[in-house]
Amino acid sequence: MEAYLPFSQDNLWYEIWPELALAVGSLVVLGVNLFSKSDSKTGFSGVLAICFQAGLLVFHLFDYLAWHHTFDRITFSGMLSHGIQGDVMRSFFLLASLLVSLIGHRYILKHSLRIGEFHHLVMLASAGLMLLCQSSHFLMLFVALECVALCFYALVAFNRESAKSLEAGIKYLIFGALSSSFLLFGIVLLYGVGANPEVWGASFPGSEARDALSFDYLGDLIRENPDHLLLRTGIVLIIAGIAFKIGAAPFQIWVPDVYHGSPMPITAFLSVSSKAAGFFVLLNLVNGPFAGAKDFLLPLLGFVATFTIFFGNLAACAQRNIKRMLGLSGVAHAGYLLVAIMASLIFPGDSDRAVWVLFFYMFVYLIASFSVFGVMSLADLKDDNEHEFADYENLARKHPLFGFALVCGIGSLAGIPPFAGFISKLLLVSVAVEAGLYFSLAAMIIGVVISIYYYFGWVREITFHPRPIVKDDEPKHDPWNKLSEIGVIKFVLITLTVVSLVFGIWQGPFGDTF
Amino acid sequence: MESITPQHFLILAFLLFGVGFLGVVIRRNLLLVLMSLELMLNGVNVALVTFSRTGQNLDGSLFVFFIMTVAAAEVAVGLALLVALYKKRRSIFSEDAGLLQN
Repeated sequence: MEAYLPFSQDNLWYEIWPELALAVGSLVVLGVNLFSKSDSKTGFSGVLAICFQAGLLVFHLFDYLAWHHTFDRITFSGMLSHGIQGDVMRSFFLLASLLVSLIGHRYILKHSLRIGEFHHLVMLASAGLMLLCQSSHFLMLFVALECVALCFYALVAFNRESAKSLEAGIKYLIFGALSSSFLLFGIVLLYGVGANPEVWGASFPGSEARDALSFDYLGDLIRENPDHLLLRTGIVLIIAGIAFKIGAAPFQIWVPDVYHGSPMPITAFLSVSSKAAGFFVLLNLVNGPFAGAKDFLLPLLGFVATFTIFFGNLAACAQRNIKRMLGLSGVAHAGYLLVAIMASLIFPGDSDRAVWVLFFYMFVYLIASFSVFGVMSLADLKDDNEHEFADYENLARKHPLFGFALVCGIGSLAGIPPFAGFISKLLLVSVAVEAGLYFSLAAMIIGVVISIYYYFGWVREITFHPRPIVKDDEPKHDPWNKLSEIGVIKFVLITLTVVSLVFGIWQGPFGDTF
Repeated sequence: MESITPQHFLILAFLLFGVGFLGVVIRRNLLLVLMSLELMLNGVNVALVTFSRTGQNLDGSLFVFFIMTVAAAEVAVGLALLVALYKKRRSIFSEDAGLLQN
């Protein structure tokens, strides 16, 4: 027993208490669901999960902002590195997970799916995401990534009665596994050269032997040998694996299909948390181990970003299904964020302005996406995967509150002035100008202009009445007829809209740093 | 007489990875696609063991166990999904799965 005490003290388990709490909480939720007979009707385990996550989020914010001011530290023999950026990412994932649970609770009960498993998997995936973006060792990165991916495979195929959901699950599994094998091969090539550089014709960085999978050591190795073929191949393969996760072209083919087939709260979870995790990992990589390969990575990322922006926006214009359109517009957003990644690669240091602009953009994207998906999840359609523009006809007049929340979310995604999306795009432009990325900047501005076309086609359906009313014999099914029964989601949507408007006008403490 | 060098093992690993990738792209049977994914991961494992041996570093050999565990978990989820899909559609061929279209 005495031998375990120093082991536990050396590894500093209390540094990952939010992840541990979330994982334990998810097990408790599953247990409550298992042993309570009436749980599938009352949804008590879901209420428990939501309260737990809300408490955890508040406690975590107080913990690192007020009680223990955060500082950079490394735990688990270099597996994880914590700091202010890690804490911001943790809050991001906790907030996203809380919102997914809130939106999903009513949705899952309405569609009589399994409530306990849903909240369990969402919380577990969030714990994995939190570990993923704080990992500073490729073994940890791989394991955390797979923990997240396995939860997502099950969540995408959550509605097992729907063949569409199952098909989306299979597609996501195949593409996800393909992307993780690319990532893995990249890691292995880096490891191989790192374990014994002389055999593969590279020069040894430093004198002492170090952990060949850690970010620090590989960063030194790449800085020492930026032209090595195996190292370059490894870097390209790792970037390709992450490009799959964030949906960057040419690896975006899965995005519209999987978004189309998965249940609505999961679509929101995919488009916010999964994408954000890809970007946070990419940020850690380009500011850490890959910083030495700057001259080689910049043209590559520039090409990917430009291609992604054009592909996402042009393909979204052609979509009639709203979930597919939102997926492809998310691809376009990934392209804009890649410009921020490039800027962060150009700026020296790992806490430059581009990093904070990317964080701000991600938070604004979270708020806007959840107000859009939140309203969409309220619609009562025959087949929930098929959201057409016509279903939203005249929503603003039928239900002014939800119509307004939806228009605010769309406006924020499109980047229209009174909303926060405009400020985050403006900051992105200013960072791109500062880094001298004029070509990508031009692509970004053209992309934003194209995106206004398809976003406002939707807004037109919501606010105006574009078609004359056809008097059919059978009454048309109204998807918005049961909105009086919703309780807490109304307040969530009001809060999200207000935050989106407030951030558009006043950025508070963020305004000074930019 | 020429001996087998680490480069040979690496070529084998690349070949396995490539064959697996082609299988994922070309095969129509989803069961075979899952097997091809396994083949890709096995290619990675061969490369990992080679590097671990040439580098006299045990991290790589340890990593192999993580990859095998994760691959097993992935296939378990994949097979469960395939069974559920088969019950619904009576087919596991990718050309029969075309519900998600614009």
